[in-house]
Formats: sequence, structure tokens, C-alpha cells
Amino acid sequence: MVRVGRIGKGLRVLVAVAGVGLLINGSVRASDDAWPFGPMSQYAMSVPDDAKIDYTRVSAVTDAGTTVDVPLNIEGAGVARAEIEARAGEIVKNPSLLQQVADGWARKHPDQPKYVKLELIRDTTQLVKGRVEGPPTSQVLATWEVRR
Amino acid sequence: MRLANWFTPMIALARIAWLRTILYLFVILDMHAFVRDTRDKGEHPGLYQPLLLARLLDLPKPSVANTTVLYVVLIVACLIGATNYFPRVAGWIVAPAFTWWVLIGMSDGKVDHDHLALVIALWVLPTVKAGRRGRRGLASYGDQTRSEAAGWAIRCVQISVIATYFLSAVAKLRSAGWALSWPGSAVLTWAIVRRPHPVGEWLLHYPWVLHVMQWVGIIGEFCSPVILWLKGRWQLFGALFFIGFHAANTAILLIHFLPTVVCWLAFAPLERVVPWFRQRRSDRDAREAEDQAEHGRQAEQQAGA
Repeated sequence: MVRVGRIGKGLRVLVAVAGVGLLINGSVRASDDAWPFGPMSQYAMSVPDDAKIDYTRVSAVTDAGTTVDVPLNIEGAGVARAEIEARAGEIVKNPSLLQQVADGWARKHPDQPKYVKLELIRDTTQLVKGRVEGPPTSQVLATWEVRR
Repeated sequence: MRLANWFTPMIALARIAWLRTILYLFVILDMHAFVRDTRDKGEHPGLYQPLLLARLLDLPKPSVANTTVLYVVLIVACLIGATNYFPRVAGWIVAPAFTWWVLIGMSDGKVDHDHLALVIALWVLPTVKAGRRGRRGLASYGDQTRSEAAGWAIRCVQISVIATYFLSAVAKLRSAGWALSWPGSAVLTWAIVRRPHPVGEWLLHYPWVLHVMQWVGIIGEFCSPVILWLKGRWQLFGALFFIGFHAANTAILLIHFLPTVVCWLAFAPLERVVPWFRQRRSDRDAREAEDQAEHGRQAEQQAGA
């Protein structure tokens, strides 16, 4: 049996209690910025029964003349959908941020058609009494002609 | 004093050895499967938005150079730590390095909440010294020396696992202005519409099923701290409930929370693995010896007949 000394034990208890305190503080008043002591807020919001559900995506016109949905993940364009959603406001103000999506795609898929024009699109699904009502409507938020 | 002892139960060092191996190898998996865009962020720091901890410590912006060094250091330190030779030196390297790795990975406007227990585990594991006889490497997996330092590290991981659930219930109350509207809301419908896939889309036709799942989820999260005081089989049931909860989430939303799930092992009596194997082997040897003796007797009888 190995016991820890009085000071060792006191320190350990103090650290644990302080950690729990930081966690409670984070959950009660901090934001995600305080990671790892921020609130556990993923999927924590109450969505009303008549909510509009937004889904943000990026659509691309390629140099082969096709229109495709950009795969927003690390293997696809090197950037995750969540990042695009979180920064949608900034992209609307400054569409050149979309250049990174085209660059990421071109770098990861050199043998595939390149993107020449990108559109940030928001699909909106309407809920009625908690159920999905009809197909989503689409709105173009930002357009970017890709620089070579 | 009783409170202090609750934070430092006596737990065999073998459990720490097992957790080191499992968690340090898991970190390598995590770097390639879950928080896997840290090096990409080094190449394209355009969307980098440092979190509070990175600003407080004035950590440099991710670059190809620093993320590549971080990657190599982490892989080497994890491999060494996983062997249980020099686990404390390796552990004190892994803890800050992986924290920085995840910090970069989450510095793009989206923060995931599945890494709390793993990150805390990495910080507490290196505080545990080897026993008096100093068993290292292979011998450490069977070390039954019970230690308060080991118990504290285990307790910290257990608290972090439970906090992940309990605090997510708190966050659900907070986001509704401290009201209980989450379980009756359309949150799962919302989540499925945004992460479409067959099982989830089928469930969209049955909103009442989704509401039942929301109630079960939030009640489970609120009651989760009880598991810290449960023992034996009841604690196992508690753990299985939450592992089932993650299985359901994975089926409906493809959200797996594996970095938290692996930390449930802090509740498991891993120190019994080696004695259990030894017992089985010695039982088998004894049986074989008996069989041989029996065989010998039969041969004698036949010879005598």
C-alpha cells in the first residue's frame, strides 16, 4: 500500500475541487471559448416546433462545366462544414474566404476538375408542429469567382 | 478527512498501467481519426481563431513547422508512454502536447465536447509514481500495490467522464433560460435534418419516439453522478446505459463520442486482468496434470489386467 503524504493529499484534493469549480463556472457562465472548461453545449438548445432549420453548403461550378456540392470535410475540400457554418457571416462580408475551399480541393484532388465559381448556399427546412414540412428552400448568400 | 479520502481511494497501480497503454494508443488513433485537421490548420491558418487558453499562454499561430514537430513529438511520446517504461516523462510530454493539438483543432469556430475526460486523464496519469518495488514495463500490468496517488488519478478521470454528462444537462437548462423545455422540443428533428442519414430520416416520421429519447437522455444525464457512488454490478449497469446512449447517438446522428467512451475504462477493475489470466492458466495446468495422472492410472490398470 502506498499512501500520499499530508501535503500531497491536500494538494490533490485542492486541484480536484478547483477543477470541478472551473467546470461548474464554465457551464453556468462561460462560452465555448473556455475549452476545456466551457459549457457542454452541443445540441443543448431547445428547438421550437415551428423552427426554420438552416443547413449551409457550398456549391461549385467546375472547369468541366458541371455543378457539384463541395464535400465539406477534411478529405474533400480540407475544411469542415461546421467551420463554414460558424464563419458564414464573415464569408458573406468577405467572400474571398471561399478561395481556401477551392485551394483545398485543388491540392487534395489534383486530377479532378477545378472549381471556377463557388456559392455559399443556405437551405432552409420549415417545421410545422414539430414535423418537417415540404422540401427545403435555397438562398445564395455569397458568390466567389475563384482566383487562379 | 473522509472527503479527502473520497478523492484518493486506494486503487492498484495495475489499473494505471492499463490505462496508460490504452489511452496513449488512443491518442494516436484520435490524431488520425477525430482531431485530425491540426496539421491542415498549420498549412492554412486562415480560419484560425485562438481559444482563451491559447491566448492566455500566448501560443504561436499554427504553422507547418510547429504542427509537424507537435505531431512527431506526440507520436514518439505516446509510443513510449504506452510501454510503461518511462511513463511519467512521456506522460508529461503528451499532456501539454495533446492539449495544444486539440486546442488548435478546435480553434475554428467549432468546439466539440467529447475530449474533456481524455485531456484530464492525460494530465493526471503522469502524477502516479511506480510502487515501492518500482515495477515497470510488462511487470506493471499485474502490479497489485494499492496506491492513493493512483486512486486520485482514477477519481479525476471518473469525475470528468460523469461531468461530461451532468454538465450537458445543465447546458440544456441554461440555453432555455434555466427552463426544462429541451426534452419536449424539436432538437433531434433539427439535428437529423442537418445530418441526414437513413436511420435518422426514418425516425423523422415518428417525432414522439424522438421526444422519448430526449427525455431518457436528459434524465440519464441528470442522474449520472450517482454512478460515482455505485459499486460492482450496479456501476456496470450505469456504464452500460451510457455506452448504449452513445450507440443510439451513433446510429441516429453519427456522433460517437469515443474519446469519452474510452475513459469509462477508469471505472473498470482492469487490475484484475492479469490475476484472472494467471488463475485460468493455473487451473488449466492443474487440470492437465490431473488428466495426465488419470491417464497414467488407466495405463497402469490396463497393464495390470
